[in-house]
Amino acid sequence: MRQLLAIEWMKLKSYRTFWILSGLYLFSILGLNLIAFRVQQSIYEAKEAQGMAEMVLGSTPYSFPTTWQMTSFMSSFLLFIPGLIMVIQLTNEFSYRTHRQNIIDGWNRREFITVKIMLAMIMSAISTLMVIVTATIFGFADGNRSFSVENFQYIPYAFLQAFSYSMVALLIAVLVKRGGLAIGIYFMYSVIIEDVVKLLLNMHGGSAGRYLPLQSSDELIRLPLLQNAQDKFWAPANPVIMLIVALTYLAAYIFFVIRKFETDDL
Amino acid sequence: MAILSVDNLRKHYGPVQALKGVSFNVPKGAVFGILGPNGSGKTTLLGIIVDILRANSGSVMLFDEKPRPEHRRRIGTFLETPNFYHYLNAVQNLEIAAAIKGHGKEDIEHVLRQVSLDQRKHSKFSTYSLGMKQRLAIASCMLGNPEVMIFDEPTNGLDPVGIAETRELIKKLNREGKTIIMASHLLDEVEKVCTHVAILQKGTLITHGHVDEILVQEDIVETNAIDNNRLLSAVQHFPGAIKVHLNGQHVELSFEPGTANLEAINRHCFDQGIVLNHLRLRKKSLEAKFFELTQNNN
Repeated sequence: MRQLLAIEWMKLKSYRTFWILSGLYLFSILGLNLIAFRVQQSIYEAKEAQGMAEMVLGSTPYSFPTTWQMTSFMSSFLLFIPGLIMVIQLTNEFSYRTHRQNIIDGWNRREFITVKIMLAMIMSAISTLMVIVTATIFGFADGNRSFSVENFQYIPYAFLQAFSYSMVALLIAVLVKRGGLAIGIYFMYSVIIEDVVKLLLNMHGGSAGRYLPLQSSDELIRLPLLQNAQDKFWAPANPVIMLIVALTYLAAYIFFVIRKFETDDL
Repeated sequence: MAILSVDNLRKHYGPVQALKGVSFNVPKGAVFGILGPNGSGKTTLLGIIVDILRANSGSVMLFDEKPRPEHRRRIGTFLETPNFYHYLNAVQNLEIAAAIKGHGKEDIEHVLRQVSLDQRKHSKFSTYSLGMKQRLAIASCMLGNPEVMIFDEPTNGLDPVGIAETRELIKKLNREGKTIIMASHLLDEVEKVCTHVAILQKGTLITHGHVDEILVQEDIVETNAIDNNRLLSAVQHFPGAIKVHLNGQHVELSFEPGTANLEAINRHCFDQGIVLNHLRLRKKSLEAKFFELTQNNN
């Protein structure tokens, strides 16, 4: 496995598109949370609302220990980006036909696709690491409470969510193969289509929409504000069930990505 | 030992039958040409052999065994187009290929020199001309000095010098003891380079065997007289002639290669009271031979 990753590294280390997009993505995590943090500051520090915000909304979301949840929640809006990077780098292999050459030169098909799944996992881990760093920074910047790792379970949730987005991306890339089309489908699905489908499913008061592929992992991390009001409108999902659903989806993505790549004409 | 055995291989793309039960063996040390017009199934056949395409039925054996990735590491393959990472240079690309084949970097300088790419080895692949890309693909095949090489249209898109160099290289590799399997739609290329040939047409293997046996070049003598019909009957049973027929304005006599004797024909006709006004020996063109081979199958 180390050998496979070493070869993947040789492919990636001079791949400028990959590094620029990855760099911008990691920076965006910090940036988006900075924006949210500034909004928090302006709401909670406004003179007229002194104490009001705290009463209505609860304590500042970026303070420990809710900072883990808040940062994971905010960062999840950016998760389509690592997915896009995965689509781009895989369809790139398809359009240069280097995936064929790798097999011709002596990889088996499973080795090729496994290392891509590993890459998705590593990207998700790095993304999660950035979430931890960002959450810690704003937790201290908020300064209302002292450091705490309570609620740290949101960090593994954030990893699971990032990995799910990346695997959906890989699945679409393997199914569609053509770069532009795969990017378009992935982008529209993750940003718009799934939310529309969720809306339609939930129209008659049900909550079936939460079991959709990406939504199931989204459900694990909710906005840590107005919890009571949220609960009134949407019955809270049982986190254990959502975790099982999300993991099941993940297993299915991995299974189908491998199977598709192993049985296709390349 | 057979380097490659293909048994009753079938492949269809939807309703299109690309291979209709193809079987043959490639003996060790051969330069085995797979000859066929565009769309005859050559690339599909090679693609199945190296596991990038899936056959619908039939089997492939490499080195008398069921194909495994380890076998492919012992085969240098250049299929259809040069497939490299556009943003990497020649050396970086070959490092990846070498690593997948399980070799170190020690061969890279050497193979780049062999295809005269050492001057441009640090330029990005995307800046290469088609010929250079092609030569890099051949260099990649030579990594690790494999015993077998598979080339798909290796001279496609090269200039005349490149074509000559590539053919020379293939012959040289064969003299070093390597088995070479190459697909080509150029009859003349197969004739110049190959020891064995398999002719593929519309997914069917028409014939295969030694090049000398399959691509025999007959001697053809063109003759012409004022009365061609009389001439035709006069030479109808000329000794040694395999076939005599009227072709346009000439009466043509076919002979086994190297056996046509123009003087004897001339004397024969003169003795019969026919004066020839045209007498010419030509080799049967390979294209004509190819048409003859493939036409029967339509």
